[in-house]
Amino acid sequence: MDITWGASASHELAWGGIIAIYLFLAGVAGGAFLTSALTELFSKNRQLKVIRAGAYIAPVAILIGLAMLVVDLGKPLSFWKLILYVNFHSVMSIGTFIISIFTALAVVYAYLVWMAAAAEKKIQITVAGQEMAAAKATGIQSWRKPVAVIGSLFALGTATYTGFLLSAVTTNGLWHVSFLGIEGIPFLPILFLVSAISAGLAATLIGAVDCSDLTAYKKADIILLAIEIILLAVLYTSVKAAFFSGGMATLFWLGVVVVGLLLPLVLAIYGVTKHKNLVLPVCGMVVVGGLCLRYFVVYSGQLFR
Amino acid sequence: MAKQYVMVIQASKCIGCQACTVACKFQNEVPEGQYRTKSPAIGPTGTYPNVKLYFEKEACQMCKNAPCVGVCPTKASYYNEDGVVLVDANKCIGCKYCMTACPYDARFLNEETGAADKCSFCYEHRVSQGEKPACVSTCVGGALVFGDVNDPNSEVKKLLDKHKAEVRKPEFGTHPNVYYIYEGVK
Ligand code: SF4
Ligand code: SF4
Ligand code: SF4
Repeated sequence: MDITWGASASHELAWGGIIAIYLFLAGVAGGAFLTSALTELFSKNRQLKVIRAGAYIAPVAILIGLAMLVVDLGKPLSFWKLILYVNFHSVMSIGTFIISIFTALAVVYAYLVWMAAAAEKKIQITVAGQEMAAAKATGIQSWRKPVAVIGSLFALGTATYTGFLLSAVTTNGLWHVSFLGIEGIPFLPILFLVSAISAGLAATLIGAVDCSDLTAYKKADIILLAIEIILLAVLYTSVKAAFFSGGMATLFWLGVVVVGLLLPLVLAIYGVTKHKNLVLPVCGMVVVGGLCLRYFVVYSGQLFR
Repeated sequence: MAKQYVMVIQASKCIGCQACTVACKFQNEVPEGQYRTKSPAIGPTGTYPNVKLYFEKEACQMCKNAPCVGVCPTKASYYNEDGVVLVDANKCIGCKYCMTACPYDARFLNEETGAADKCSFCYEHRVSQGEKPACVSTCVGGALVFGDVNDPNSEVKKLLDKHKAEVRKPEFGTHPNVYYIYEGVK
């Protein structure tokens, strides 16, 4: 690098792909947990496969995400200082506690769901052990609904936090943009929340793909995709055009818009009731689109701030 | 009255010798390839007879309203009692949040410590002992002036009163303590 003549050395970005994946996985975890918990709490024909898939995806996704966050630190072994030293002005500091509680609840919830599933299997195999297993299960299973309720709140918190983390950077034109110009309502938490639920739902449906009736979920998916398209249109008109330029143009238009939103929306509307074999491609594209969105926002915000 | 340390940079006196760049690396044992300060050339711009070229000493701008301090999750980035923004390398976990927040690209992750690093106004080793920062002491052209702006007799106060000084990127509302005087830049 020529420091004297300032030949602007390619400045390394502070946050790269690892952070983008972390934000994505935290969103998927939150969305999957919500899908599972809301099905558990409100669905009449409780689709067990959906409940299980979402319950298992959430802790796995958030734990992998946290591991990525830790390895990306300059001092990975000192991550515990995040809990020791608290700064209430820092979104990251507050988020640490939200995510920690969510992770714990997601693990507990998955364990309860797994226990019930295991007990059910046992009942089918040995009639003798039936009573015992059932009795044992009911005691601890009474925790499941409260865990689902509180966990849902923290899932919402986790998904929105990934947006607040970026929107708190007041010096960044893309990250800090406000919703429709309304001072005090940051845009990214809203976009990331919708995208998180959509990607988490899609991941859950992939896990429950052989389920008999997913119509309700497919409809929810269509609504979420439509909202996301509107939100991205709002974003496009709210920030300077440079953020969608250069290498970021392909990622945004192809990855986020076409693969992540338009194609799955068209396919989903086409196959909402019939065409069961469309679930996999539609949901796969939604998940990929969610990842592209995080990459786009993390990189473009730093490249063209 | 509390101290308010500032640095005033007179661009017309800087000859771009990079003595400050080197002095800073000596004083602060900055790893190879990394810099707390550098003074790249700006320009040349314009056409004869109005060609302009100057050097701009870049480093932490010691913001009074510092975005890096606000976002830091561990309070590793902080204001000390004299209004100097510092990093406690021991508390820092290297999350790089401050680096995304600083609009001046003043920070880097120190390759050796893994902690965020930046200009410290040489506070610990020099200024707190009554000395000037290493870059200021070494400046060949006399372009760098350092001192307490709350002291009416200080050189910085007199310079700022007499000349039109600017701060970089005022639109971010960071209120830097590093001032630039471009008078006489040709
Ligand atoms: S220049 Fe950057 S690192 Fe220095 S105080 Fe301002 S925001 Fe912080
Ligand atoms: S890298 Fe260190 S100084 Fe910067 S925000 Fe993170 S903990 Fe604070
Ligand atoms: S004040 Fe000290 S740390 Fe800052 S640029 Fe000068 S020599 Fe480097």
